[in-house]
Amino acid sequence: MHFTQTLELFPEQRVTQMLFKDVKNAAELRQSAVEGKINAALINPIMLVSPFQALLAANKAVHLQTIGKMKTRSLNSEIIFNLSPTNNISEAFKRFGISDQDRSLLVVVVHSKDESEFLSNIASRVDGQQVPAEDFSSFSDPAKIRKLYKVTPQEETCGSLLDAVVCRMATKDVM
Amino acid sequence: MATLQLLRAAQILQQGAEGRVYRAEFLGKPAVIKERFPKRYRHPELDERLTHRRTVQEVRSILRCRRAGISTPVVYFVDYSSSCIFLEEIVDSQTVRDFIASSQPSSSQKDQELHWLAKLIGQILAKMHDEDVIHGDLTTSNMLLRRGPESSEFELVLIDFGLSYISALAEDKGVDLFVLEKAFLSTHPNTELLFQQLLHSYSTSSKKSSAVIKKLEEVRLRGRKRSMVG
Ligand SMILES: Nc1ncnc2c1ncn2[C@@H]1O[C@H](COP(=O)(O)O)[C@@H](O)[C@H]1O
Repeated sequence: MHFTQTLELFPEQRVTQMLFKDVKNAAELRQSAVEGKINAALINPIMLVSPFQALLAANKAVHLQTIGKMKTRSLNSEIIFNLSPTNNISEAFKRFGISDQDRSLLVVVVHSKDESEFLSNIASRVDGQQVPAEDFSSFSDPAKIRKLYKVTPQEETCGSLLDAVVCRMATKDVM
Repeated sequence: MATLQLLRAAQILQQGAEGRVYRAEFLGKPAVIKERFPKRYRHPELDERLTHRRTVQEVRSILRCRRAGISTPVVYFVDYSSSCIFLEEIVDSQTVRDFIASSQPSSSQKDQELHWLAKLIGQILAKMHDEDVIHGDLTTSNMLLRRGPESSEFELVLIDFGLSYISALAEDKGVDLFVLEKAFLSTHPNTELLFQQLLHSYSTSSKKSSAVIKKLEEVRLRGRKRSMVG
């Protein structure tokens, strides 16, 4: 169910993604995250095309943390910020962070090698049904994604929607 | 310096004066990593600024091309602290250079057999110039051919925007074509007709081609004069 990938740039670090539907305690989870009681990025998956997108955001967050250049106050909020095509932090949280009434949830955790207990601990706090982390497509809204990332129809003739999104995320600092 | 550690273990594809190109796995995908290294003869601060600007220009040009529907590698990640760009590896592709070289031993027929390719390159360069992207290093090695996933047709992928910049000037576009012309004709002997086809395709595809072709002719003339004097 989980999707775990090692960060080649930071071989001690793993990124694990867990996807949930029918979540009933989003408000409570969000509150815990705000208070720093859940060490994970809690994301609304509607604007995500694939686990690769969150993986890139996490890699960039760890990179910026390592060189001391994060734009937000924590690694988890930096992951959320990196998903956004703009440099507006509150806008990023509105679009990508979990809201109290959300029913679907992506949990992104950056951790070191063997922390299965830590992961299942986080998973157990979600009152919802976990689904395979590859099932993004059943949550995402391509029309909204195209609008938010300003993807042109021409662009999708030479690549996928994911390609377009990934390029926006990677280059937003210099646009 | 996590990036530099990764690169030390990666496979080197190309070693140049400005930087190196590597191949490595990145977030589980095959990737090409372009590293620019500092030039010791330049003042460190100036060098850092110039290197940063080049890196920025490279990713901006790639995005501008992709927005217009021109195939270029996807940008995965940019590490500005070590001036490294992580790009999608274009797998199962070959350079236009190799394709032309292996296409037809009897050179007299190259322009017929490769007409479609000349046409395709002309169309894509026209589109790129209409977006005001100047590639800066057009050669047949910086163009890859791959077959699309669903079709049997070849797709042209432009790579190496390391010297690219944005400009609307016909002069810059003319020089861009002149660089390609020189590289093309010296790499592929007896392809004057083929290159003419390429320029013809460019002319009919670009909205602003006449000024560019005029500049190309001027630049050619200048080049010839210079070589007569020198
Ligand atoms: N994205 C890519 N996918 C596959 N091969 C590449 C890519 N980028 C560069 N190369 C190869 O590496 C060489 C040098 O790269 P460049 O400096 O970008 O021209 C090229 O001639 C290609 O053979």
